[in-house]
Amino acid sequence: MAHTTRAALALAAVTTLVIAGAPAAQAKDGDVERRGNCARTTDWKVKVGPEDGRLEVEGEVDSNRRGQTWRWSLWHNGSKSASGTRITRGPSGSFEVRRLMVNRRGTDTITFRARNPRSGETCRGTVRF
Amino acid sequence: MRYAKNPVAQFLAAGLVVLVVVVIGTLELSRRAAADEAINDARSITELLARSVAEPEIPRGLVNGDPGAVDRFDRAVLRRVLVGDVQRIKIWRADGRIVYSDQTELIGDTFPLGEDQREVLQRGASDADISDLRRPENRFEQGSGGLLEVYTRIESPEGQPLLFEVYFSASDIAQRRQEVYDAFQPIALGGLLVLVAVTTPLLWALTRRLERTSRDRTRLLEVAADASENERRRIARDLHDGVVQDLAGTSFALSATMRDPGTDAALAQRLEPMAASLRSSLRSLRSLLVEIYPPDLDVEGLNAALNDLVAPAAGSGVEPVVEVYDVEGASDDSIRLVWRVAQEAVRNTLRHSRAQHLTVQVGRNGDRLTLDVTDDGQGFVDGHSANGSDGSGGLGLRSLRDLIAEAGGRLDVRSTPGEGTTVHMEVAR
Repeated sequence: MAHTTRAALALAAVTTLVIAGAPAAQAKDGDVERRGNCARTTDWKVKVGPEDGRLEVEGEVDSNRRGQTWRWSLWHNGSKSASGTRITRGPSGSFEVRRLMVNRRGTDTITFRARNPRSGETCRGTVRF
Repeated sequence: MRYAKNPVAQFLAAGLVVLVVVVIGTLELSRRAAADEAINDARSITELLARSVAEPEIPRGLVNGDPGAVDRFDRAVLRRVLVGDVQRIKIWRADGRIVYSDQTELIGDTFPLGEDQREVLQRGASDADISDLRRPENRFEQGSGGLLEVYTRIESPEGQPLLFEVYFSASDIAQRRQEVYDAFQPIALGGLLVLVAVTTPLLWALTRRLERTSRDRTRLLEVAADASENERRRIARDLHDGVVQDLAGTSFALSATMRDPGTDAALAQRLEPMAASLRSSLRSLRSLLVEIYPPDLDVEGLNAALNDLVAPAAGSGVEPVVEVYDVEGASDDSIRLVWRVAQEAVRNTLRHSRAQHLTVQVGRNGDRLTLDVTDDGQGFVDGHSANGSDGSGGLGLRSLRDLIAEAGGRLDVRSTPGEGTTVHMEVAR
């Protein structure tokens, strides 16, 4: 158990270093991906890529704890595009949402927000595409 | 040629012409109806998509271009409206701004609306038109091979009228039109063909009956003519063998008596006018015999028979001329017809025309045997002959006309008051 905890901490430290060192990493095939750390131990990820004339937006929250209820929302140029409630599942204790958005003329600013109403922890990631 | 006179052939020919005209007309109407039906289908689809899919899903803010509202609407309706023949969707504001399109590059662009589109925005209902692919709002449709745009009015949750426009592929519309058209064809063509199929046997049966009646009538005419001819022959033979022989014997006896030296001169002088009268009566009787039944009625004997026929004309103050040429090879039936018509025409001339000259000409016109009986008599107005008949040349000629027609010939009677009459007959040789 202690070994696992140390490994997780090491991974978190590496992730933090990666995010701090490369805040705007570019994914393959024109995708743009952002990762970040929420208020506590939870991580977030936002990925935006072209999809058949539209934007495919993926938002992910990884809290390492199963069964947490999170409220999430996706914002497009400051306007709420989608929202909902999800529960973390699986061995990683995470959830992921995926939505298509209309690719507007010029730069699209897409923000993924998630909040755990129980703990009050909030995640917020933004991608400009 | 024989088929051209057949009523069934005439009906089928006329029916075929009518059928072609009706079929062309029907198919053209069907084509238009099919086109209208296809466009109406497109309008129905458009109105259904507008009322049932698009309008209920329009979120607040869409009319103002709110990006989140556009996203929500796009996710909600895209797969539900791009169905079947639908190629493109556009939703317009009244000021010409496109607030939504499945072609997202168009969202936010503004183009001037057409008059028809503005009218639909104001009055509702729907309209359809062929897309002008040269217009900038249709720049993404190049190479689509033609589009039909159908538009109708919807409303945003804010109560703002919007124009919901659906683009259909012209080829799909054409295919739909063809489907409707194909459905029309069996009805249009089948009905006409059934009509022809039903009426043709009926007409054929009716024609057969008419032909049979006509043949019976002709046969009756022929029988009547043959009977008349036989009767004439019998009478002529009886007269020739009986009365004529007796009168000839009496005439010879009188002549012999007058030339007998033993006969008293005064008696012989009184017998002379009797003998002359007897000879005259004998000549008249022989002419009558020729008229009743001419001997040697064939090509060789026709000239002599016609001369015998016109012989009494001199006694009526009419100068007759008979010309017969190029009749060799003519059939006996044709010669008999020529004789009968000439007999009737000459009889009419002598009885009614008050002519001074009478010409009977028999000749040839190609493969036809011709007869012209011409006089310079008083003539008559067409339709009112001097003998009180109907102007067709007298009852006798009129009754002969059917026989001539049956033999493939024709009979014309031409007359002008004061300028005489011509009876012209042609018959196959």
